[in-house]
Amino acid sequence: MASLNTFGAIMTHAVNLEAGLHEYYQTVGDDARAKDADKRRRTMERIRRETVLEITLEPIDGLDEADYALNLDDTSAAGQQAVEATAARFYAEVAPKINVRQAQRALERAGKAHQELA
Amino acid sequence: MAEKLKNYIGGEWVESTAADYIPVENPATCEVLAECPESTAEDVDMAVQAAAEAFEEWRSTPVLSRAQYMHHFKNLIEDRFEEIARIAVEENGKTLDEARGEIRRGIESIDFAMGVPFLMRNDGVEDISSGIDETTVRQPVGVYAAITPFNFPVMVPLWFLPTAITCGNTFIVKPSPQTPLSMQIVYELLDELDMPEGVVNLVQGGIEAADAILKHPGIAGISFVGSSPVAKKIYEVGTAHGKRVQAQGGAKNYIAVLPDANMESSVRNILGAAYGCAGQRCLAAAVAVGVGDAYDQLRDELVKQVSNLRVGYGLDETTQMGTVVSAQAKERIESMIQKGVDEGASVVVDGRNKAVDGYENGIFVGPTILENVTPEMTVAREEIFGPVLSLMKADSFDEAVDIINASHFGNAASLFTSNGKFAREFKYRVRAGNIGINIGVAAPSASFPFGGQKDSFFGDLHGQGSDAIEFYTDRKIVIERWI
Repeated sequence: MASLNTFGAIMTHAVNLEAGLHEYYQTVGDDARAKDADKRRRTMERIRRETVLEITLEPIDGLDEADYALNLDDTSAAGQQAVEATAARFYAEVAPKINVRQAQRALERAGKAHQELA
Repeated sequence: MAEKLKNYIGGEWVESTAADYIPVENPATCEVLAECPESTAEDVDMAVQAAAEAFEEWRSTPVLSRAQYMHHFKNLIEDRFEEIARIAVEENGKTLDEARGEIRRGIESIDFAMGVPFLMRNDGVEDISSGIDETTVRQPVGVYAAITPFNFPVMVPLWFLPTAITCGNTFIVKPSPQTPLSMQIVYELLDELDMPEGVVNLVQGGIEAADAILKHPGIAGISFVGSSPVAKKIYEVGTAHGKRVQAQGGAKNYIAVLPDANMESSVRNILGAAYGCAGQRCLAAAVAVGVGDAYDQLRDELVKQVSNLRVGYGLDETTQMGTVVSAQAKERIESMIQKGVDEGASVVVDGRNKAVDGYENGIFVGPTILENVTPEMTVAREEIFGPVLSLMKADSFDEAVDIINASHFGNAASLFTSNGKFAREFKYRVRAGNIGINIGVAAPSASFPFGGQKDSFFGDLHGQGSDAIEFYTDRKIVIERWI
């Protein structure tokens, strides 16, 4: 597991998290949630591409991938809730570390969406 | 065997007439990625002929259509954004975030070029004399060329090419032979646009190709970014051959930190400014001047935060600082550090002999901090172009401004403070082309002109923004009477 110590590392984790959830919900058979996850993945890719601002690129500290590992093997209702809670916590904790407001807003919005399902 | 790169001339990929090829190495692995031709004067001449032949058709292509090509160009870059970023990392050694950032900046320049239909408009006056109207028309000039550096292999060519061609000129790019691959992809995308053959041309190579561009009578103007000695030569030779020249040179960018600055967040930003792109950028922070009580806090916070910086291979997203571009660059940077020590500076953090696990052949120089630096030392005066930050003390704001203004460079300078009066004074008095207030990298966005002062710039019209429109067009005055 790696440190989430750059803008790109955080955004790539978000992209991978949503890609994982897309597959997870496809397995579960919840097409609506799978579609939502895929939409958020695309948003995170776009944010990673569009809001990286070299003049304010700064090191980030205090975040590690290991703290946000999802158990995608547990497809029970409780398992889904746990996955959503972890995703919500990830977004809540990384958003304040990003110094570009548009990116922060996208992360907060994704966090809110996960929180509603947690 | 590594691919031998070709030139893109007259709408086709053509083999160079070069006898010699330069290996393009990944500085983190030393893997040879490709071989770049040392293109010849003959190659340049072919590109100029193709560009000159395309000019008449291209200039008469409606400006809205020319701008429309830029819309498509932008979309193609967005589609292959990650691929281009990875290639920029592989050939340059920077981090993925830095590569993404430079592509985004390049796209900003394409966005700006889409505004050319508006920006080329001009004015006129009816009845300037009885029954006589006088108007201004802005016209493209002809064939332009850009000679661009290794440190921003995507962004710098895109500062120039989109605006130049949307204004109706035709164009030749000669990238650095150290980082030719990014432009190779960008030209694959330009090829997809189906513009008239010869509007855009790519000549890979080094000194011979650059020299041929400088002296070719068919080239109307040159945009250049590189070191100051070369920029000066480009300006002198280019203008002596009747060309318009904008030549952006090197830098020694100072940052002054006042005691009222928010030290923790200021240092985080200064860190990005000093060590981003491993210090290999013309806007890198090179000297931090702590004013009065700020010095000790600045030093301690810098040392604390620098020790956490993760140096590694740029494709690993946890890397916060990548390699330098070549073994020669590393040797030069490390010899400058030693020169600083020899002249009396002390090394607080030493990045020499930096090793990174898994990349034993990588060309790394770790973040370095020199202390007790004084204005007469070489490390305070000359560009190091590496991840080295020199610390200086000043007793007062006025002394800090004097230190900064004594530099023969004038690309950028920044002030970290929460005091508006000092911020205003700094903007007013410091002689540099780009001023940052609580921003360590004062990089103008595409709609603002970008260029330094003193030995950091040779020419009059800067790159980007309204200056780019001036540089890539000529104004014609029409005085009209119907009798």
